[in-house]
Amino acid sequence: MTRGERKNLRTGLLFISPWILGFVAFTAYPLLASVWFSLCDYSVLSEPVFIGADNYRDLWQDEVFWLALRNTVVFAAVSIPLGTALAIGLAVLLNQPVRGKGVFRTIFFLPSLVPAISLAILWQWMLNGSMGLVNEVLRPPLDAINWIAGTALQPPDWLNDPSWALWGLVLTGLWGAGNAMVIYLAGLQEIPAELYEAAEMDGANALRRFRDVTLPLLTPVIFFNVIMGLIGSLQTFAVPYILTGGTDGPGRSLLFLATYIYQSAFDYWNMGYASALALVLFLLILVLTFVVVRFGEKRVHYAGR
Amino acid sequence: MPDADQRPRLLVLALLLLLGAAFLLPFAWMVSTSLKPLNETMVLPPRWLPSEPQWQNYPEAMRAMGPFWLYARNSLLLAVLNVVGTVFSSALVAYGFSRIEWRGRDNLFLLLLATMMIPFPVVMVPVYTLFRDLGWIGSFKPLWVPAFLAGAFNVFLLRQFFLTIPRDLTEAARMDGCGEFRIFWQIILPLAKPALLTVALFQFMATWNDFLGPLIFLVRQDQFTLALGLQNFQSMQGGTAWHYLMAASTLVVLPVLVLFFLAQRTFIRGISTTGLK
Amino acid sequence: MERSSYSIRRLAGCAAALIMPTCLAMAGTAPPDTPTEQGRAVVEYWEKWTGAEADVMRSIVDDFNRSQDRIFVRMLTVSRIDQKMMMAVAGRVPPDLVGLWLTHLTSYVQNNALLPLDTLAREAGIRGEDYIPVYWEMCRREGFLWALPTTPTVTALHWNKKMFREAGLDPEQPPRTLEELEYFNDRLTKRRPDGLLEQVGHLPQEPGWWMRDFNHWFGGPVWDGDKRLLLDGQPARAFFQWAASYPRRFGGEGMNNLRAAFGNFASPQNPFFTGKVAMVVQGVWMDNFIRQYAPPDFEYGVAPFPALAVQQGPPVSIAECDLLVIPAGAKHPKEAMEFIVYTQTPAAMEKLCLGQKKFTPLREVSPEFLHAHPHPYLPTFIALAKSPNAQAILSLPTLAEYSNDLTTYISLVLLGRMDPDEAREALQARQQKALDKKTARWDRVREKRLAEWKTRL
Repeated sequence: MTRGERKNLRTGLLFISPWILGFVAFTAYPLLASVWFSLCDYSVLSEPVFIGADNYRDLWQDEVFWLALRNTVVFAAVSIPLGTALAIGLAVLLNQPVRGKGVFRTIFFLPSLVPAISLAILWQWMLNGSMGLVNEVLRPPLDAINWIAGTALQPPDWLNDPSWALWGLVLTGLWGAGNAMVIYLAGLQEIPAELYEAAEMDGANALRRFRDVTLPLLTPVIFFNVIMGLIGSLQTFAVPYILTGGTDGPGRSLLFLATYIYQSAFDYWNMGYASALALVLFLLILVLTFVVVRFGEKRVHYAGR
Repeated sequence: MPDADQRPRLLVLALLLLLGAAFLLPFAWMVSTSLKPLNETMVLPPRWLPSEPQWQNYPEAMRAMGPFWLYARNSLLLAVLNVVGTVFSSALVAYGFSRIEWRGRDNLFLLLLATMMIPFPVVMVPVYTLFRDLGWIGSFKPLWVPAFLAGAFNVFLLRQFFLTIPRDLTEAARMDGCGEFRIFWQIILPLAKPALLTVALFQFMATWNDFLGPLIFLVRQDQFTLALGLQNFQSMQGGTAWHYLMAASTLVVLPVLVLFFLAQRTFIRGISTTGLK
Repeated sequence: MERSSYSIRRLAGCAAALIMPTCLAMAGTAPPDTPTEQGRAVVEYWEKWTGAEADVMRSIVDDFNRSQDRIFVRMLTVSRIDQKMMMAVAGRVPPDLVGLWLTHLTSYVQNNALLPLDTLAREAGIRGEDYIPVYWEMCRREGFLWALPTTPTVTALHWNKKMFREAGLDPEQPPRTLEELEYFNDRLTKRRPDGLLEQVGHLPQEPGWWMRDFNHWFGGPVWDGDKRLLLDGQPARAFFQWAASYPRRFGGEGMNNLRAAFGNFASPQNPFFTGKVAMVVQGVWMDNFIRQYAPPDFEYGVAPFPALAVQQGPPVSIAECDLLVIPAGAKHPKEAMEFIVYTQTPAAMEKLCLGQKKFTPLREVSPEFLHAHPHPYLPTFIALAKSPNAQAILSLPTLAEYSNDLTTYISLVLLGRMDPDEAREALQARQQKALDKKTARWDRVREKRLAEWKTRL
């Protein structure tokens, strides 16, 4: 290296030294320690004791783990497409020439800023089986259907019914679609108007314009959002935790991997097991992100490629 | 205006109104419940509006919750510290990753990006034991010291922004014999004000909303943040006082709303730029 | 123009320069552990009670603080106290004194989170013979004393006399066997014209606080006290079968529908008060809540909750107690113990228990206590507590996991969504494994701990 290069190296490293320190203390060390803890029986109140791969073996046979895994994946698999569709839909609506766009944009965006605790408390009340707002809104249409079709449909007791609790949580998540909507809106505004005009002249109606112009040009943004959404939703903890009061929800339907990890660590004081679970979660995120990236690489359309 | 134009416009407006109402309803419900007397909160069928707004629910809720203002002060304290720490350290690190050419820089940056995929639960337990061994459990330190060590996301954001600043500016300064830090402080930072503001805003929100961190690292009740204090309130025995709970929840949301209204454009711009670059 | 903007910036800079260090200073340190409050040693006391129950303890604390000038006890109401205490001990910042439920005592002991009180208790003259046996025994583990009891309870059947009358049953004759209870249940159940339930005689979920220990009314334990769970034994079998009979009779959805309209326990909409459920298992505190929330003409009776007909012998009940413990690493253990000893004196104990409308864990009580006590059925509760069949709640080292699992499985069985035997076997398999793990962990350190505890304080 030349003297200049060496100086630059030194300066560069100096500037990024806070991150290096943070990386070592809060990423590298914990990752390694996690691996070590996952091979131990550790309760924090006493020393870790090496037990080999026992935690992983137990994990494999632990039906609650598989349930938590299933809940986590199902939740992500449902809320990401729904959330994306909703966010794009809202963005498309807001991209039209209508009055009061700013107001609507605010209304849609605001819920995504609400702290988890307020959100959870609010929705715990909204999803109440008999006295909550959601069922209050659902009852009239269901009663109408009942009257017409002679059925006896009742709105579900969301938070006490194992089959419906997860959907209640999905609903809660959809309320925060405004965050992604803003990104899509920005993406939509980058699409040159000429493309739409050209498509119109070719005789394409609104739906076809959406499918052939809008969607392909949005794919980079969708790609980014889906990956961010994936990483985020696989770590869901706060809202279900508060919603269920720290338990697992009816029939364990609201037990997610992150919740199970927290429970194992700080309720059952099995920190070795919790570390094993956490590493599995990490693996899950890596694998799914890889899958999405691979899938996306072929489909994402980059302007100018 | 031709008819064909009006119909889609009306349709869009109608949809927006419908969806807008759906999105607004939970807020309205929260505020309306917070103003009801207790016996009107749990009725069948549910009431939309209180018979008489019970404004006193708010001070009563604050009192019932415990040291409300102490919790608020704690939340604010942590938010301020995190903002200061994040803005400075992220800017420093982002500068190092963007405005100086050095060997291994881009590989190290890839490493930084990769760390964004590591979920918090993986590092949760070892970080907890680390803080425990340092004797920091029982103080606020675990909740603000890491902010001074530059989180990956903010570094990413700022680096992208710094890259858009023309090279010539810094080259000229270097020719004049200016030190790197001076260039950083006097040239780049002032130009990056909008991006820094965005980072500050997001960090404030993130810290204000943070739940898991305080849940794990705060043990003493007098150090609780609003989020934790509210959860404490929620899980107290003796039945749920929904009117108080909603009032308290509204109070916790309020600063967020106020901040949003003051800094709307920055918020929106910040979110859109993260998604696109 | 420029000058004013410059001075504003300077002002902002100064403000920042002042605020920042203050923030850092405030945020860097834990609240100062003022070693003395007006010159006294401060005992930090975390208590789980809220509301009126907390107020009673607070007055005892005040009495203690007034009675001497060396120690100041500072009481704090803490929610989720089990978890908070463990986190405080694990984080090495424990309080000096904690008011816990009995539930997780074994777990704390095995995790070495508490201070053994034997020496301190002996020096203070505390003797086991002064206590009702079940309450003294429940404070002991591995041969050491870990806690002292404060306010006890046992569970008993509470029934709504008016509903009995309306159903044609003698309001003074409660069911004496579980089979009779089920017969009464049928008599007391009413349906609306559309088929939905209007009221029922009994629901296991109401309140459902003792599912873990319900097996005692079916004849036996679910744990051998050491290494093995006995969920394949007859009592567990019978209990799960009994639970499964409910969705068959009422329908899982039917019960859910009925329960959706139940109000909170501590409110006038408590289903027992509103006549939705005629018979419940409850503790000695129930009278208090009835006075507060039930309609003024509410008539109720108390009797031992019935066991299976084949069980003869003294009445069965579940006994629990609130405890005072000293966490390991407490800074003022001796002072904390002084306060605990104070609460154990007959005068303080009676004041506390009278204030919370419970009986005392002490064998002897003064006649004034009995006379002044508002609870009409206190002698029934005391008799149940002294009965040889008063069973302390399950004291598994894996109680948290067991509880969680049991709740899940039982709720599925009660909804009619899971076969009872399947649920029971799954519970046995999972929890036996969890127990084995904890047993292994404990066996590894047992000798060391016992030796350590012998030499402690």
